[in-house]
Amino acid sequence: MSLPSGVFSVSYIQDMMILRTRFRQVSLLIFLLFLFCIPLFARLYWVNLLSTIAATVIALMGLNILSGYCGQISVGHSAFMAIGAYTSAVLAGHLGLPFWLCLPCAGLTAGLMGILFGLPSLKVKGLYLSITTIAAQFIIIYLIKTPFADVTGGAIAMNVPPVTFGAFVFQTERQLYYLVMAFTILMTFFAWNLTRSHVGRAFVAIHNNDIAAEAMGINLYSYKLLAFFIGCFYAGISGSLWSVYAKVISPDDFTLMNSIWQIGMLIIGGMGSTLGPFLGAAFITALNEIVLLAGPMITSAIPQIGAQVSAALVEMIFGAVLVVFLIYEPRGLAHRWEILKQSCIHWPFSY
Amino acid sequence: MTNFIQLLFTGVSVGIIYGLVALGFVLIYKSSRIFNFAQGEMVMVGAFLTWSFLNLFHLPFVPAILLSLLVAGLVGYHLERFPFRRMIGQPILALIMATLAIAVFFRGLAILIWSEFIGIKFPAIIPEKTIYLFHIPFSSVHVWNFVLVLILVVGLSVLFQYTSLGLHMRATAESPQIARSMGIRVTRVIAQSWAIAAVVSTIGGFLFGYYRGIDFGLAHIGLIAVAAALVGGLESFKGAIVGGLIIGLAETFTGFYIGRNLKEVIPFIVMVLVVCFKPHGLFGLKEIERV
Repeated sequence: MSLPSGVFSVSYIQDMMILRTRFRQVSLLIFLLFLFCIPLFARLYWVNLLSTIAATVIALMGLNILSGYCGQISVGHSAFMAIGAYTSAVLAGHLGLPFWLCLPCAGLTAGLMGILFGLPSLKVKGLYLSITTIAAQFIIIYLIKTPFADVTGGAIAMNVPPVTFGAFVFQTERQLYYLVMAFTILMTFFAWNLTRSHVGRAFVAIHNNDIAAEAMGINLYSYKLLAFFIGCFYAGISGSLWSVYAKVISPDDFTLMNSIWQIGMLIIGGMGSTLGPFLGAAFITALNEIVLLAGPMITSAIPQIGAQVSAALVEMIFGAVLVVFLIYEPRGLAHRWEILKQSCIHWPFSY
Repeated sequence: MTNFIQLLFTGVSVGIIYGLVALGFVLIYKSSRIFNFAQGEMVMVGAFLTWSFLNLFHLPFVPAILLSLLVAGLVGYHLERFPFRRMIGQPILALIMATLAIAVFFRGLAILIWSEFIGIKFPAIIPEKTIYLFHIPFSSVHVWNFVLVLILVVGLSVLFQYTSLGLHMRATAESPQIARSMGIRVTRVIAQSWAIAAVVSTIGGFLFGYYRGIDFGLAHIGLIAVAAALVGGLESFKGAIVGGLIIGLAETFTGFYIGRNLKEVIPFIVMVLVVCFKPHGLFGLKEIERV
């Protein structure tokens, strides 16, 4: 992390601060206040959109820790979201546990399943690992659909009971927005700090070269499994939060396509940066909404195309954008943002 | 017993199609070290394309097949140019994501063009007859299927082993740099292998679509073929076919004896087990890694 110009650390506390300058602290405060105020005046559409983005961001942060920092490719992340969603829904619906207990349980179950499916990562990596995670996607959804069909309702949709804290019930979207947003901020803070800790540094070392990392004394087995645990824990929390927001869940909400979209969002946002998940989720969701708005217009202008034009265009544009990013900006929007900031600081000079 | 032998035969004739599509993977992997996750979508688009030439343009059977193979070959050839040539030297994740992005793109394209045709089938080309072999009935479609794929597999092996194109491909797989210094146009060789893979997957799409019907679910065969290629080992043609057969048999038998839901995931379970105990597949090459 490079220091802003003219800022020097004179104490350890200062050295460990995340936000070094008064400007950054104030702007973060203003941003948080803005987020807090949104449901008070914005239309419901925006509240829903932001909540969905926030829930996605949590899953993406998990994927970022797993793939961006630790370099373990996972193309089955939405299945772990499914585990989280179903765990909390089953615990709340069948056992009547309160939400503050269901949420960590959802994260833990997803994390433990993540360790189980991360076991192949001890023997294989890269390509092979990505394929075993695709297998995990199908096996987990199968487990939800068939052996556990008695509690999960199988392929049929399952109702998620409302969230209660004591006597208070989260009912409207605006109330749920605060719930989702609070956890997003909390999880962001944790992820941000994790990447600066010795665990985060070990992850980056494994990413860069795992054999070299092992030679440096990093225990590959425990750190890889830890990365899987944390990554899938995030997915579980995200799934649980998303499920209380969606109110109805079914296995079709967590397909391989969703996993591909998630990792695509992360790449577009920028892997291995805290900002990446936010930018990726926001960018792709915004793009989606624009296409969904434009779809009916295209259909009315050119009726021959057919009714599914939005669904088709969403996928085609996502695929095309992803390829373009992979070729021209593999480090994603976060990197572009850094470049933009630097050029603003140095303006009118080039460096 | 009759059941068992019938299942065996069905498993083999499904498995050999998986093997054929897996062969497409292996071909691309061997020549360019790219694992093409878009193969399943190529299969699907190929099947739709052939169907369109037959039913929408009313072409006779042979020109329709040839035309769709030509289109598939051209698309495959140009996929190498954009995006894969520009991605040389990128990390594995980027390459995987690029093929997945192409898969998503193809899916969108197929939805855009063919979404209104639901429940379509190829017109019957082979007369549907029941053949008795040792007093056990078999569908003639399966027999034709089997023979056709066998011819293709032998043909591809001969191409790879005995022609100059095959030699160039093997050289490129060994080391692109050395191949280039020996005067082989590496990019063209890779493009050709993409073209062949696209053609092979179109044939796979036709065969699989012939008795399964054509829909967007055809793309799933790509993932099953991934499993087949991995079980067999990524560097081996023989392995792709054997892997395809293993997966096909496992699928057919679990489908009959245990249940339909498990049938859908059994390829992946077999694959994970193989990867855990024999990471490079049954016939793959073991890589030695250095820092």
